[in-house]
Amino acid sequence: MSSRKTLLTLFILLLLSPVFGVILAEGLGYHEPLDIVAEELGLSELEFTWTPFKDYAVPGLPEWLGYIICGALGVLVIVSVGFIVKALIRR
Amino acid sequence: MHIPDGYLSPAVAGVTLLLTSGLLLVIIRKISSAKDSLNKKISLFTALSAGIFVAQMIAWPIPGGTSLHLVGGALAGILVGPWLGILSMSLVLLVQCLVFHDGGLTAIGANILNMGVIGVLAGYAVFKLAYRVSKKVWLSGFLAGWLSLTLAGLACGIELGVSWNSIIPIYVMGPWHVVLGLIEGLITGSVVGYLARKSPNIIGWS
Repeated sequence: MSSRKTLLTLFILLLLSPVFGVILAEGLGYHEPLDIVAEELGLSELEFTWTPFKDYAVPGLPEWLGYIICGALGVLVIVSVGFIVKALIRR
Repeated sequence: MHIPDGYLSPAVAGVTLLLTSGLLLVIIRKISSAKDSLNKKISLFTALSAGIFVAQMIAWPIPGGTSLHLVGGALAGILVGPWLGILSMSLVLLVQCLVFHDGGLTAIGANILNMGVIGVLAGYAVFKLAYRVSKKVWLSGFLAGWLSLTLAGLACGIELGVSWNSIIPIYVMGPWHVVLGLIEGLITGSVVGYLARKSPNIIGWS
């Protein structure tokens, strides 16, 4: 697959992602097995954070839009790391 | 399966962090001494990591239960081999943790160990073995994805169980991931099967 095709596929998946990650997740009361363990053992997450984008949200933006932007941001960070490694190898 | 801060005891968090960082250092050293091979695979590595990151954002929630989505450890191991596969999953998990607070800072060692090391190595080994025996790409990918997620979930359960001296996490995480692993297997088998037909030269085992 060419890199243009790969990027286009990723972009389309990103646009679709809020349907699953935000809308359906809220509508169906999403939780995962780890949450069941936490309930059974009475564990709770520590209340501190180091990033404004916690849980793939952008402050001030609707959840679905923040989710897409966070997806794009994550891809950008990963692709940048790839480019840096590539440059380091060829140096 | 991303463990948040506060779920692991300091001892378990510390030991898993030490183990994972040691292993990552060894892998980075090993890989940076083979620049030619890395140069050939770096584009695939980047696309794979970005693809796994996006795929993990597309989770299909099951009413009142959990969600179906790809974790990607087996896929990474099969496509770029175990060492780059571990680095690819580690990169995804680090970005998720550092930028989006998905998984705790104190649990990053455990999360990389479960999904990035155990998930990748199990997926890679099962795929190789199953492919050698059956010569069927889809079936091998399915088994690899299934066992990869099952073992990663079980490891997560063991870490939580050791943390709180309880057997409950293993009982919950183990069976749940045996079932969720079927979906991981279906996606892994389908993606590997598709890539093996479309661009057989990019698959790591060939």
